Amino acid sequence: MATQDVCILEPYRPYGADIKETRPYSPCRAACPAHTDVQAYVGLIAQGKYAEAFEVITSVNPIASVCSMICHHPCEQSCRRCGVDEPLAVRHLKRFAIEKSKDYRRAKRKLVQKTKGKSIGIIGSGPSGLTAARDLADLGYSVTLYEKHPVLGGMLAAAIPPYRLPREVLKEDIDDVISKGVEVKTNFEIGKDAKLDDLAKKHDAVLVAIGLSLSRSLNIPGVEGPGVLLAIPYLEDVAFGRKPALGKKVLVIGGGNVAMDVARSARRLGVQHVEMVCLENEQEIPAWKWEVDEAVEEAIKINYRWGPKAVKRENGKVLGLEVTKVLSVFDANKRFAPTFDNNVTTLLEADTIIITIGQMSNMAFLKESSVKIDERGRVEWNPATQMSSAKNVFVAGEVVTGPGSAIAAVANGRRAALAMHLYIQGETIEGRLPVQEKEKIAEMPSEVVEKISKQPRMKIKHLAPEVRVKTMENFEMGYSEAEALEEAGRCRGCGGGAVVDQKKCMACLTCLRVCPYGAPVVEAYSTIRPEYCQACGLCAPECPAEAISMVSYDVREIRNTMPAIVGTIDPKRKEPVIAAFVCMHHASALGLDLPKNVRAVPVHCTSRIDILDMLKAFEVGADGVAVVRCGSGTCKYRDIEPRVNARVKRVQDLLGMLKLESGRLEILSAASTNGGNPYASVCAEFSDRLKRIGLRAGK
Amino acid sequence: MIVGTQKPIEEIWNMVKDFKKVLVFGCNTCVAICHAGGEKEAETIASLIKMKASQEGKTMVVNHLGVMRHCEPEYFEPVMDEVKKYDLVLSTACGVGVNFLSDRTGTIPVYPGINTSFYGAVEAPGVFKELCAGCGDCILHMTGGICPVARCAKTLMNGPCGGTNKGKCEVSNEIDCAWYLIVERMKKLGTLEKLSAVQPPRNWSTSRDGGPRRISLEHIREYEEKEEAKTTK
Repeated sequence: MATQDVCILEPYRPYGADIKETRPYSPCRAACPAHTDVQAYVGLIAQGKYAEAFEVITSVNPIASVCSMICHHPCEQSCRRCGVDEPLAVRHLKRFAIEKSKDYRRAKRKLVQKTKGKSIGIIGSGPSGLTAARDLADLGYSVTLYEKHPVLGGMLAAAIPPYRLPREVLKEDIDDVISKGVEVKTNFEIGKDAKLDDLAKKHDAVLVAIGLSLSRSLNIPGVEGPGVLLAIPYLEDVAFGRKPALGKKVLVIGGGNVAMDVARSARRLGVQHVEMVCLENEQEIPAWKWEVDEAVEEAIKINYRWGPKAVKRENGKVLGLEVTKVLSVFDANKRFAPTFDNNVTTLLEADTIIITIGQMSNMAFLKESSVKIDERGRVEWNPATQMSSAKNVFVAGEVVTGPGSAIAAVANGRRAALAMHLYIQGETIEGRLPVQEKEKIAEMPSEVVEKISKQPRMKIKHLAPEVRVKTMENFEMGYSEAEALEEAGRCRGCGGGAVVDQKKCMACLTCLRVCPYGAPVVEAYSTIRPEYCQACGLCAPECPAEAISMVSYDVREIRNTMPAIVGTIDPKRKEPVIAAFVCMHHASALGLDLPKNVRAVPVHCTSRIDILDMLKAFEVGADGVAVVRCGSGTCKYRDIEPRVNARVKRVQDLLGMLKLESGRLEILSAASTNGGNPYASVCAEFSDRLKRIGLRAGK
Repeated sequence: MIVGTQKPIEEIWNMVKDFKKVLVFGCNTCVAICHAGGEKEAETIASLIKMKASQEGKTMVVNHLGVMRHCEPEYFEPVMDEVKKYDLVLSTACGVGVNFLSDRTGTIPVYPGINTSFYGAVEAPGVFKELCAGCGDCILHMTGGICPVARCAKTLMNGPCGGTNKGKCEVSNEIDCAWYLIVERMKKLGTLEKLSAVQPPRNWSTSRDGGPRRISLEHIREYEEKEEAKTTK
């Protein structure tokens, strides 16, 4: 909240980022093709640090805005909360953080100093091309992006319907990339406007990131002629606001996500009657479940398990599609090998048929270049180096990886950028590019799952189906701040928990006794098992050897920052200076509005407040210290209260030895009340009590 | 393990008040386990000293440090340069550590931050119990595994005394009568008749009465000396 107007010049690195690299990834991060540090940015959102969250996201993904709208979020599918209740709504949180950082990112756009004196040409400005452009520009190369369409973005701009990806969202990402001094050549088609080999001579290295821009068609009778469209030209029409020629009854062939885009955009173009037909059944259909559900809500009928046989026409006009019953789609080895019952056929009536059965690359320009194409029409490449067969021509994205997600193309674009950088620097590439598979922490053990309180996922609101089909506008309502903060608080922080310094640990068993989840195993020293640890932080302040630290935050941070938080104590003050420890998640969600004499000390949870933290507040002159508990029922951890109570009692006893009144340290409760800010009111009451005790005299 | 308790801040203050640079030096083994003098408690005491200094209007540098053990030089030798930057070391190790360190700090005094209490066990988290007195002549096989030297207030060898009271000691109702426990245990073990033999007076020379003790293991020493001789050749 506070950092919106601050421009972070140094790359933002959240606490623990380096430690995290050496440990198994959280499942969300491992599942993300770009290995976005999901829990780092979700944690920052929970603290209201949106610009920092933006930095974490965009550090690996320059099309973060795009992904915040269209990503298929494998992070969510792998979220360990799935075993407890529902996965964290990561994509919606990403969208929220990015929308909140709009001013910050715009202010941040700046030309990157070109330092390398080498030039790079990138053909194609889809996810992988944009990503490579950004990364290489950041490294100081002169980058030129060649795009055949009038706008950048590849399929993002030319095929994804605006109801899924508003173009102003895409523009934010593209503007970020361009702002790095990337030269843009739109309406530039390789093969027509320049030959690849010439570009390869002009630039020190060239990246072919052309994606899959051609629709596959079907070889069935009647397919040629009016009334039968291919997906990509149709989607390009939709994308660029041209009216595709649709009739009154549209039938979409295919069951993938692009088919969903085609069918759902047809509804939005005013076609009342849209049907789909696919080989698969409800379980096999390749489109994401939410796409299917939303399409059905939009009154799109899906005909499962029918295979196209012939387009039926009368006087050239399409009557419909003759289809054959599908018996099976996959063989015993789960390979695509459909079988049909040719005795069962039917006619699916339609006046317009749109074929959406897959895409391929437009490789015409490659055929007349030194890049070799194999006998099956694929670009020859080495995945270990991202290189094609031509000397300085690299490849990235779906042209080589095949169809996938935008974020997978981003990851491949990053890889290619690194490969090109190494190549130009004359270094070995092989063995230097990141591996896709990362070790991740194990499933949450069932005994831990049982201990985690259920908290339903914050629902995202959609426009009603009958409303949303009337327009190409996005239909998903983003989170409000309160909703986002609450949802972000659901993250279990997998893998961000306690780590033991083996050099300090003397195996005293304290952590074992304290941990509510049974995470520590103590042998010669304690090992805190990451799959058990919930990162509550209860153990670290209890460790008598100060051997425990947390991956996700600095356990000494409070002590180190306390002098700055409390500030200089005015000897003539009338009001007592109070240091108030508040749960940053709960407090950010409620909005902190504290009296002037109260200095908020945000903590991850009261569980992490150390005796030394409380003493430090008194040491730097606070008249009183409040531990503000967020109130029962809102904490995502367990067994916190008795430990915190005991610590407070100990500090009160120690203060007693210094003849300081025990009333100077209190536990307050900020249980949510109806109306008013509970933090402000409980602190004001404490302030009154402190005035009766009196201000501390300094000598 | 060795169990200790922190000294009250008033007593500590009287020790440290005339020094300008004080290091509170924690030991991360026994006294850390009993939450009296590990690195964490050293930092806690340092914090209290700083507050006290501020209350008293004194300017004083107070820092803290911790190493694994104060009873083996290899553990604290790496930080000795740091330790020697201070006018006073307030050690929160047990008395062993205070002695051992003070032999090695030259002109810098080493004062105790804790009272070393006893050899004990962790009966329950946060509860420590004295079970051995280190007398140097163990007779636990004769007393059912319950030590009358450490656990009987009178250190009786032929108990109980007349002060035993429903299993409790006459010193305090909080204290179990060791000899009551011994009898009950021996009954359970079926060896009660062993107690009918009168134990002669003990030879206390193996304990404190024989003066400070030192144990030298020839096989370990010899080996080290030989190794040393080899390397210096």
